[in-house]
Amino acid sequence: MSDNEAKTETGNQGLSDADPADVDGSPDALAMMGDPAMAACPQLMYKAMRDADPVTNVDLGEISMTMVWRHEDVIEVLRNPEVYSSREEAVEIGQKRPLIPLQIDPPDHAKFRKILDPLFSPKKVALLEDRTRALAADLIEKVVDDGTCNFDKAIAEPLPSTVFLELLGLPLERAAEFIALKDGIIRPQATADKTDTDVRDETGARIYEVLEAVVAERVENPQDDFLSGFLSSEVDGHRLTPDDVVDIGYLFFLAGLDTVTASLDCMISFLAQNPEQRQQLVDDPSRVNAVIEELLRFETPVTGVPRITSRDTELGGCPIKAGTTIMVMLGSANTDEEFWDGGDDVDFDREVNKHLAFGGGLHRCLGSHLARMELRVVLEEWHRRVPNYSIADGVELNYSAGLRQIDNLQLVW
Amino acid sequence: MKVHINRELCQGHGRCYALAPEVYDCDDDGYGIERFTDVPKQLEDNARRGANNCPEDAITIEES
Repeated sequence: MSDNEAKTETGNQGLSDADPADVDGSPDALAMMGDPAMAACPQLMYKAMRDADPVTNVDLGEISMTMVWRHEDVIEVLRNPEVYSSREEAVEIGQKRPLIPLQIDPPDHAKFRKILDPLFSPKKVALLEDRTRALAADLIEKVVDDGTCNFDKAIAEPLPSTVFLELLGLPLERAAEFIALKDGIIRPQATADKTDTDVRDETGARIYEVLEAVVAERVENPQDDFLSGFLSSEVDGHRLTPDDVVDIGYLFFLAGLDTVTASLDCMISFLAQNPEQRQQLVDDPSRVNAVIEELLRFETPVTGVPRITSRDTELGGCPIKAGTTIMVMLGSANTDEEFWDGGDDVDFDREVNKHLAFGGGLHRCLGSHLARMELRVVLEEWHRRVPNYSIADGVELNYSAGLRQIDNLQLVW
Repeated sequence: MKVHINRELCQGHGRCYALAPEVYDCDDDGYGIERFTDVPKQLEDNARRGANNCPEDAITIEES
């Protein structure tokens, strides 16, 4: 999940450029995940795996895991938290305590969601829309006369980061530092004397330092921000401790700074390379929500989520031992032709779209309504000013695997 | 036609009230609620649309 070397040809929005059969007759999930063309068009890899080995055991040396590709099996995992736990052993992301609420199982999970859900409800998110729109307009105005920009660096990274840091009450002037910290967890760059895990653990320790300092400060001087709000909230007699607030903040740090960036990159990349479909949105901006839901499905910017089995079980006919890490491949479920009509076609008129881009079951993405608002605002403000654009000549888009950010999304218009 | 959201299954994806706000509303936590149990004739298609798009299969429709 940390492969950041992926490079791909541009201008290939069919699923034709990458051929899973090239990777040695029988598909090898690991080889494919390291294949640059697959990072750009993972739908091909998903199909190859569903057909050949839908519950895949992979050995990564340090860890081994089982990858789950079919929609039916993905649903089974997401809806059975008592078998498929989210406890912190499911994934190593530099944490020293479980992240809240991501790595909390029932029944405690509900206590935390009860406090957090109202803060991220559509009604609360609507209050942030004007400010988000002003930020988006500002960022776009800065580049609109240039005729070119790296969309990832100019818009997709700064916009959600700013929204999130403001919400959480973290200082904006430290945005670059925070972005580097989340990248140290999500895309650790191993060095000669440090493994990915070393880099993650060191970065994690720094994130804790930052958050512990801010939370301690808010305990003394409450502000009008989320961190202060968490410290004073109480549900059913349950109060959050300063450690709880740090553990929530750690998760938000990773989730809030990265996922909307990756989603914006994937959507703009698709629309840049598919002018006819982009024109449908430009001609009728009221279709923006359908465009967002369909591209969330097809692109699935967060490709998978982890679980760990709490007992021996069986999935898709395969026995699985207790304590096995499971990677739930949301992107594959979202394009599974057994479930979807024309799953590999992007169709903004799709009548039924029950995609799992935000996961499913009780861990459904807490920030999904915030994410949708940000995506809508950026797509609206962007296309109002830049209706025609394409990928700059000669650029090979560099999709990161796992979380599909494109760090060189150079556009021209 | 009757419509019912199973509160145990609903996880707050918000697809129903986004696609068919005439039939579904959201509560203060972002979870779906039915605006009525007996769906007016002219809103039956909207009710079906919301139910068909629920990622958790939490909405049941009872055709009359």
